[in-house]
Amino acid sequence: MFRGACIVAGLLLAAARADAYDFWLHADTIGQAYQLRDFQLVGPDLILGRHIVTQTLSLRITDIGDLSLHRRTARLPDHGLRISWQSYIRVDHDFGNYTNGQITVPGPSVMDALDVIPELADDVTGIELMYGYLTLEGLLDDRLRVDVGRVLVDDGWGTTAIDGASGRYDVPQIPIEVSAIAGLHVRANSPLGVSAYELDGTSGAGCESYVAGPTPGTGTWQLIDRNRTVENFPFSSDYAYCPQRDVDQPSIGVTVATHDIHGFSAEVGYRRTWSDSAAIYPDEFGQLPATGLDEERVFARAHADVTTGDGVTVEPYGDLRYSILNGVFDRADFGVRLKTGGSTIEPAVEYYYPTFDGDSIFNAFSIDATTDVRIGYKWDGRGPWRVTADGWLRKYANADGLPDYAGGGDAGVQRALGVNWRSSIDLLADGGYGGRRVGGTATAAWKPTQLFWLRGRFVVLDVEEDPTAGDPTGGTTPPHYVTSSANISSTYQVAEWAAVHVIGEADRDAIYGTQTRVLAVLDLAFKPEM
Amino acid sequence: MRKSWLVFAIVIACAAGVLAQPVPPDDGVDDWSPIVYPLQRLPLTFSHAKHLARGAPCAVCHPAGTTSRSAVDDLLPTEAECRACHAIDRNDPAKQATPTVACAACHPGWAPGKVVEQTYLTPPPLKFDHAAHAKTACESCHPVRTVDLATARQLPTMASCLRCHSDGAEERHCTDCHLAQPGGLMQLQFEHGTLVPDHDGLGDAHGPNFKNDHKTEARQVGATCNACHDQSECVECHTGSVKPMDFHPGDYVMTHAVDARRGTPDCSACHRLETFCVSCHERSGLTTRAASQFSSQESSRFFHPAGWANASAGAPNLHAAEAKRNLNSCASCHREEDCMTCHSAQSSGGHISPHPANWKGSAQCRALDRGNRRMCLRCHVTQTELGCDW
Repeated sequence: MFRGACIVAGLLLAAARADAYDFWLHADTIGQAYQLRDFQLVGPDLILGRHIVTQTLSLRITDIGDLSLHRRTARLPDHGLRISWQSYIRVDHDFGNYTNGQITVPGPSVMDALDVIPELADDVTGIELMYGYLTLEGLLDDRLRVDVGRVLVDDGWGTTAIDGASGRYDVPQIPIEVSAIAGLHVRANSPLGVSAYELDGTSGAGCESYVAGPTPGTGTWQLIDRNRTVENFPFSSDYAYCPQRDVDQPSIGVTVATHDIHGFSAEVGYRRTWSDSAAIYPDEFGQLPATGLDEERVFARAHADVTTGDGVTVEPYGDLRYSILNGVFDRADFGVRLKTGGSTIEPAVEYYYPTFDGDSIFNAFSIDATTDVRIGYKWDGRGPWRVTADGWLRKYANADGLPDYAGGGDAGVQRALGVNWRSSIDLLADGGYGGRRVGGTATAAWKPTQLFWLRGRFVVLDVEEDPTAGDPTGGTTPPHYVTSSANISSTYQVAEWAAVHVIGEADRDAIYGTQTRVLAVLDLAFKPEM
Repeated sequence: MRKSWLVFAIVIACAAGVLAQPVPPDDGVDDWSPIVYPLQRLPLTFSHAKHLARGAPCAVCHPAGTTSRSAVDDLLPTEAECRACHAIDRNDPAKQATPTVACAACHPGWAPGKVVEQTYLTPPPLKFDHAAHAKTACESCHPVRTVDLATARQLPTMASCLRCHSDGAEERHCTDCHLAQPGGLMQLQFEHGTLVPDHDGLGDAHGPNFKNDHKTEARQVGATCNACHDQSECVECHTGSVKPMDFHPGDYVMTHAVDARRGTPDCSACHRLETFCVSCHERSGLTTRAASQFSSQESSRFFHPAGWANASAGAPNLHAAEAKRNLNSCASCHREEDCMTCHSAQSSGGHISPHPANWKGSAQCRALDRGNRRMCLRCHVTQTELGCDW
């Protein structure tokens, strides 16, 4: 048994960096251990231990079948059919008493934390295939690329994934490419599913089903598992069950984009995701639709890059998204980036109207937008200095007695101090709706040898939370406190491909007092920071 | 307030300490990369300007320049090429003639008995086929007409390549010229440094704070991120289990409320799950949900202030304004059932409409009703309540 375990361990370690000519494997093992405070109504607070181990594995295999071996060895540009594979899998296990502990609930009775807080189930354990797809490129005279499997989908404002296929075709003669996706949207309940890909992220808790009353229209919504037997399955809660979240969500999309136009790019896209109705809704009058839209959006973006005669680069850009489901523009972003020498200045305006999965009533509650005006400055010469400064102002669409603005700014300077030292100082000040903060961060990094890095960071912030968070009648004073945090991290490269990172942090604030935490990372595919 | 100024003064003093250090001169900014063209040693005296002015064709001195298939080939002329015009006589190294033939004329500091200093060139980490470009004028890539000794500075920048290869800036073409590592990503680490896009060209310059602020670059149509970065690097942060240590300040658990309330930065860019917020708040007792140990019994530990959700006359009922302006923060803890307690139109609900005054008959109402009536059915059951023309 012991010998077998050794062989398996040896194989796993060997596999962690198995550079062959045409494949690449990256494995990270991350261990975290820290404490969180559980406020108690009576008696001293509890300290909950949180222990998390995360293992990630990303794999790329190129030129499967050596279809392009000749051109690769001759260092010629790729041409003709090539087949490749990319995947990323993650295993999380949270095994501290944060998730596996118990809670005393009114009664009083003691229950597993998982059964009281179904959301914890997402933290306990998970095997997630974030993406994994086979790529065929170089088809149709290098004009067509097809990805098949779990494919990432991104419209510029968020990443999800589908189990299906995507393709991209370069139209001959004109600088246009057409992309399309089709498949099932990846949900928490998909095989090796990823709850973070749910359309609005509000999955994971329990849901209710409609229980008809004695006469049509008098029914009530009740927790769907109210009469189910609590099974105490160690890794999940029975309250998390919700049939609508088990339903497949077909998803299609198409994008038309420019390519091969120097100094200008643009795209227009459409995406639609829908699902059949589960039998948890009222349907006494046949009012339940067979299907419902989860999202339907069109989006467009454009970007230009023009250099004037005196060396100033002007980059105007704009992004816009319209939710057909909601009947509103829900995202917009316009700005221009001006560069001259090492200096970049970028004024921009951003608009945001929160929208959710079409199944969510939050769509009806979300009725106001925010508009941000931002200006950023960067200076990045070839010398030892780098400078950043940003200012922003957010306007909320409604006031309703609350401050309708928030704004602030930050500025930072980075400087190399000799060959082995680097340091930076950042200042922050903001205020308005949400609260007020003033403070800064000092950071230093030291690399005494090629194999060892040491970094330190000290943060101090004076925070006064928004008065509206307290009792506006004056009964409660909004929290005002100073918090400070010191952080030291080191990296030791134990082999060309492996490193150990150790991070320690000590925080001090008015509520928690002094806290310490330690994090260790075994990085089996190490590459130095750029 | 006095504390704030003290904190500010300390940080300013630290900043002044760093800024007071002497500043080495900046050597200017351009698109030429010392990583693509590593250091070289050329202990030679030579003038391209003079040779070209006399009409010397490039290929006379660089004959392999039209046949080479690889960037690692050494295309420098040897003595044999020089001899075509210069009657070099090794037996008489100091011989004076026109054109010049003395050894020291080209090898400065050389004297009889000394070893000639060797040139040293590190091959650029590129793929390049001179033969395929033989019909292109040499000077369109190598601007040597006005320089004496040509150095790596006269080797082409990527911008000059893109003048002809306009599709060369596309992600799939990066490794046509740059070296690829196993797996197909571009090779970035070299003995002489790391290749990082740091200036103009593709609109992807990794300037200061790029790791935390790269949305403009990443959103560009045809962004080239995946030429160098495996997609797992994106997913690692954006739906990650472990935060990058320098994204949030230390002790962020304590101070995150200000950002979360405002919604800036956009928390959901990385924390996509409601469960991320709610599980911690529930487990820490910082909620008012009935299942928590801290239901509505202990006012000193309310998450929301008294009267937060109270529509009776005179009550602040602050949650309404908060929900309108940043529903994401509500949704990070609350399920739909919490809203339906008061806002449902059903007999068990509170019949408090969350819809704005102009909702009835509005295009937005019709769009939602047409797209997914399941959402409406959560609160409206009968035919008379459904639709937008009740």
